[in-house]
Amino acid sequence: MGFLAGPIEQFEIKRLAEFTLFGIDAHFTNSAAYMLVAIAIISAFMILSMRGRSLVPTRLQSMAEVFYEFMATTVRENIGPHGVQFLPLVFSLFMFVLVVNLLGMFPIPGITFTVTSHIAVTAALAVLVMAIVIGYGIYKHGLGFFGIFVPSGVPAVLMPLLVPIEIISFISRPISLSVRLFANMLAGHIALKIFAGFVGVLLGGGIWAILSPLPLLLTVVLTALEILVAVLQAYVFAVLTCVYLSDAVHGSH
Amino acid sequence: MSDDKPDAPDERGRISEAERDAFRSRSSQLGDRLRSARGEQEPKVAQKGPFGSATAQPGATGTSSDSSTAARGAAIGKALRVSTELIGGIVVGCVIGWLLDEWLGTRPWLFILFFMLGSAAGMLNVIRAGMSTKTGPANPSAGPSVRDDDDDA
Repeated sequence: MGFLAGPIEQFEIKRLAEFTLFGIDAHFTNSAAYMLVAIAIISAFMILSMRGRSLVPTRLQSMAEVFYEFMATTVRENIGPHGVQFLPLVFSLFMFVLVVNLLGMFPIPGITFTVTSHIAVTAALAVLVMAIVIGYGIYKHGLGFFGIFVPSGVPAVLMPLLVPIEIISFISRPISLSVRLFANMLAGHIALKIFAGFVGVLLGGGIWAILSPLPLLLTVVLTALEILVAVLQAYVFAVLTCVYLSDAVHGSH
Repeated sequence: MSDDKPDAPDERGRISEAERDAFRSRSSQLGDRLRSARGEQEPKVAQKGPFGSATAQPGATGTSSDSSTAARGAAIGKALRVSTELIGGIVVGCVIGWLLDEWLGTRPWLFILFFMLGSAAGMLNVIRAGMSTKTGPANPSAGPSVRDDDDDA
């Protein structure tokens, strides 16, 4: 026994450097370090791959173009031709969430940390998206933006019932957006850690060591599943950002 | 090494002269294959829906298997989306009802009312999530690479 490490330990925020700004706790943590690493990787990848800008792309350049075209298609299908102005935002969000999720899949003992397993981070991203949706919606349509709360083609008698439902539906968007990403990453990493811990416990348990390949096999399968979830959640986040921005662009539906 | 180098350009030039026709016929064959592959792909793409794309998988060429994997990924993404939409609506409704009760001192009633409204909002979210791609505005589902070129220009 004793091999079963705490499954929550990996989500602990550690201070790497003490730093206080006007009395605000702004310490440099492992979370911030991981974000910086992610941004460095994305910047290096995009800048290095697009340096050649050749018509016939090199291997690296076509990788970058795959990401770009994927997001460009997503934006165009969900927002429409006017959505291209939001492509930089959606692309940045997608790449950030994707790289941060995948970085969390690299097991470095004592260091590995998944930024998106903290709701503070995902909620901040979701609030950013909703702030842009509301801000752009009001800028584009004025107070008419709030027409999205009034469903069309419905008798006036039902309005007192339907408008609150629409408002609750709107408020629930940033919550489901942030909780989905955070919960998927948290649950996946906890499951991985627990099943990986079983291997160690069984190996140390005398005759039970015979059973230890079973959780090991499950851990391998779960790792593949987690990589799928890491990519899919980044994609879902980008798609939902597009869907919500679509409301701001097109106004009441 | 230094002896080989002068030979290389001659070699290259000679081979390209000799095989130019062969290369031309190969590239035209490739064009035909691409065209026929696109032709095969058209009706399958037109079917849409996760099942149509899933059945398009076997015996498909490189391009069409790419698009069906993307469609399947989108379908899984949508499924993952739906799971939290319902809960999101209910939670928001409950929190609003609870806060209004605290504020107005009407302990259970607004909570109950907003729980129901929240449930309705959650179901509305689920329905919207299920229909979002169909009702999307101006949905050009034609070849993406061609349209990209238009955008870049």
